[in-house]
Amino acid sequence: MTIHEPGRRLLHGVPLKFVQKKVAGGGHRATNASLNLTPMIDFLIVTVVFLLITFSASGETAIPKGIKLPDAENTLDMIDAPMVAITGSIILVDGNAAGNTRAIEDSKRLQRIDELFNMLKAKREVWKQLHPGKEFPGVVILQIDQDVQAIVVKSVFQTAAFAGFPNVSFMVGGMPKTEKAQ
Amino acid sequence: MGGVDVGGGGGGRRETNSEINMIPFIDLLMVTISFLLITAVWSQMARINADAQVPGPPREVEPDKVEPEKQLHVEMRAPDKFVLIWKQSGTVISTVDVPRKDNLVVKEGKKTIRFPELAAKIEQEWKSAGSHRDASDKKFDQAILHTDNETPYVYLIGVIDAIYQPQRPLNVAGKTEQVPAFNVTFAVN
Repeated sequence: MTIHEPGRRLLHGVPLKFVQKKVAGGGHRATNASLNLTPMIDFLIVTVVFLLITFSASGETAIPKGIKLPDAENTLDMIDAPMVAITGSIILVDGNAAGNTRAIEDSKRLQRIDELFNMLKAKREVWKQLHPGKEFPGVVILQIDQDVQAIVVKSVFQTAAFAGFPNVSFMVGGMPKTEKAQ
Repeated sequence: MGGVDVGGGGGGRRETNSEINMIPFIDLLMVTISFLLITAVWSQMARINADAQVPGPPREVEPDKVEPEKQLHVEMRAPDKFVLIWKQSGTVISTVDVPRKDNLVVKEGKKTIRFPELAAKIEQEWKSAGSHRDASDKKFDQAILHTDNETPYVYLIGVIDAIYQPQRPLNVAGKTEQVPAFNVTFAVN
């Protein structure tokens, strides 16, 4: 006994094309549906292009724990420069401890911070050795917590300036510009 | 799926229509989007510049004496007002009081303060008395900030931000850019 392929058997033997078509189920709507992928691919490409344009290769600038930076409107773009952070009473230069601010807070007097001065001076010397013949930019970026007292800010500012970094930048959070007050 | 239909293909010949498999392409796009979203930086960091007035190294030949320039002194010691003083070599040229309203906004522990009235007044003062306005002028007007020793840093940034509101054109490498009109520094006392 032969094995037949399963399927419709009724009216199979009628040698008429329109009957065969009907018997095979040709009159029904196709059950397979194709999805149009073009809008989806368009959307994905636009998203990729947008993200690539806004992508920052330098990544996020690390902010030491415990520092809350204030926001400002009239800002400049970040640049690559030594970072001096003041968190609580500790001063860090590129993540390394460089003194503390307790003596300034206690005395309430503007004073030079020797450890910070020496570290910045050493950084300046290294830069000059690595870039002979080039003019030293003298830029340092300060990451200062929002509640630090002005006397500490001024002491760090002046110490950096005397260590050969007269262009001091304060790191802030960028804010969209508001309408000017009339 | 994406494909190329060149028509024909009948008469027992091999089909000339070809199908491109779009699945690897879509996979690649998805992976790229995921990577870019994960590595995206959402908090935009920026900087505010200040210039310390440090004397340079001694020169062999002393330059000719130049007339000291006008400087804008911004006093923020009083709790109810700012004082804007134009001075030239110790001589007061003009004084303006600006009422001070400290609208400190605290959001999730982060403090923000703006002084829009001060910014507007400084802009007005610079427009009437500023010395360096031309795009070819490389010098900037100088603003000196006077503050109490105990003033929190967030207030200093609020005032420096206000001082930087007036903008002027500056020619940089053949292009004209808008830059802050003032250079800010701190008063020692």
